[in-house]
Amino acid sequence: MSRSEAYGYAVARIRAMEPMLFDAALYQRLLDADGLGGALKVMGETGYAKGLSGEESGDRYDSALEAELKATYDEFESFVPDRALVDIFRVPYDFHNVKVLLKSNFNARSGGRKRWDLMTSLGTIPTDDLIVRIESEEYALLPYGLSQIVPSCMTVWEQTRDLVEVERLLDRGLFAAIAALAESVGDPGVVMWVKSRIDSENIRNLLRLKRFGFDAAATVPFLHGGGTIDPMTLVSLLPEPYDSWARMISYSDAGSAIASVQDDGNFDNLIVALEKALDDYCQSRLENARYSQNSPENVLAYLWGKEMEVKNIRTVLVSKGADSDRDEVKRRLRHGY
Amino acid sequence: MEDIIATMAEQLGPALVILGASLAVGFAGSGSAWGIGIANEAAAGIMTEDPKKFGYALVLLALPGTQGIYGLLVAFIAMSKAGLLGGGGVSISIWQGLGIGCACLPIAIAGFYSAIWQGKSSAASILLISKRPDQIGKAVILPAMCETYAVFALLMSIMMLTGIKV
Repeated sequence: MSRSEAYGYAVARIRAMEPMLFDAALYQRLLDADGLGGALKVMGETGYAKGLSGEESGDRYDSALEAELKATYDEFESFVPDRALVDIFRVPYDFHNVKVLLKSNFNARSGGRKRWDLMTSLGTIPTDDLIVRIESEEYALLPYGLSQIVPSCMTVWEQTRDLVEVERLLDRGLFAAIAALAESVGDPGVVMWVKSRIDSENIRNLLRLKRFGFDAAATVPFLHGGGTIDPMTLVSLLPEPYDSWARMISYSDAGSAIASVQDDGNFDNLIVALEKALDDYCQSRLENARYSQNSPENVLAYLWGKEMEVKNIRTVLVSKGADSDRDEVKRRLRHGY
Repeated sequence: MEDIIATMAEQLGPALVILGASLAVGFAGSGSAWGIGIANEAAAGIMTEDPKKFGYALVLLALPGTQGIYGLLVAFIAMSKAGLLGGGGVSISIWQGLGIGCACLPIAIAGFYSAIWQGKSSAASILLISKRPDQIGKAVILPAMCETYAVFALLMSIMMLTGIKV
């Protein structure tokens, strides 16, 4: 069966699942709801209802969101011809779990407690398996390059006690793993989207590091290769004012995302607005695929849309709990699928 | 030797008719099966999530099936014309057989390709109704445009067949 034939069924199924995603009207109802209880009541009318069961505690809705996302990934794995497309979204959770385990390990050595409760079930490696492998130092069977990265992280920690360097090693491994997964699918659109994601992550890191006053030499190790914009080009933006960044990388599509955000002099606002613009940029990179009935990018578009939906719901529910300004929260919501 | 050549000449006419009829049924039918297969994948995809859309999907996935029927119709006419149905004793020359065989080609070729593209078009329309079932009218019209050319081919095949004197 050819690639296009293989995706005929998958794309049709995705189209049939689209009406179940949150639309603007549903987000508005969530925003207008009276407090967290009202918002959870609205959520009770959606696909998230089974995970909520009338509870109003913060932990409860967080686990309901996680369960819904996991159910979506599991369902996609059952019918998508290339499992790597789903793994592109799940592997970051594996790396998150490894980070949690390593930090717990380091913490325990200095008398602290292990925080395995911070692990998520969304990764490709079952959490119990991951705990056993890391705790028993059996790294050889870890996938996605972790078999080499984890021992390196342990060595770095033992020699320098530098947690930032450990995180940097894991982040670099993560983006290399995602890029390898995209290559394995063999679709140029999928590879380009992953490059766009790497660009987004690099720009996000660049702004954060600029805020902390990092110089070019200290910034380079935190930028990942494999994007459409060379890390050295990005580093050259560091001393420039933010408003000139879009012009300097106007040859890249990410430049338009940067141009859509204006610097009002407040770094916090700028970072929040840029993160939203970059997430929307990643979504927009997949919009053309929606005109195709057999493109693998449709899988990425739906899963990214689902991730953004969960992010939006979490933002609204947290804001309800904190009684935040409704208009401000609305501005932070990512574009729907 | 002369007897053999005479027998071959006698048999070649009906053989060419059979070849034409086979191509009409075989190619148009294969195209239909292929087109329906493509539309079926899309139909199965949306019915996995929403089985109530079976009715809408059935209309659309049946559309590429018509080319197979056209091919069958042309094959019947060709064989009937040559007296190959019911054991009639019509004598067909090589040139008459060649004419009837060629008259089957329009529906064989156009039927094959139009059915495949109609299947793709139907699959796209099935995706349309998965989100907007109220647009079923427009969704049927889009793949029906491919049908036009299969109908032209059918008409031409029939006109050619009726034009051949036996």
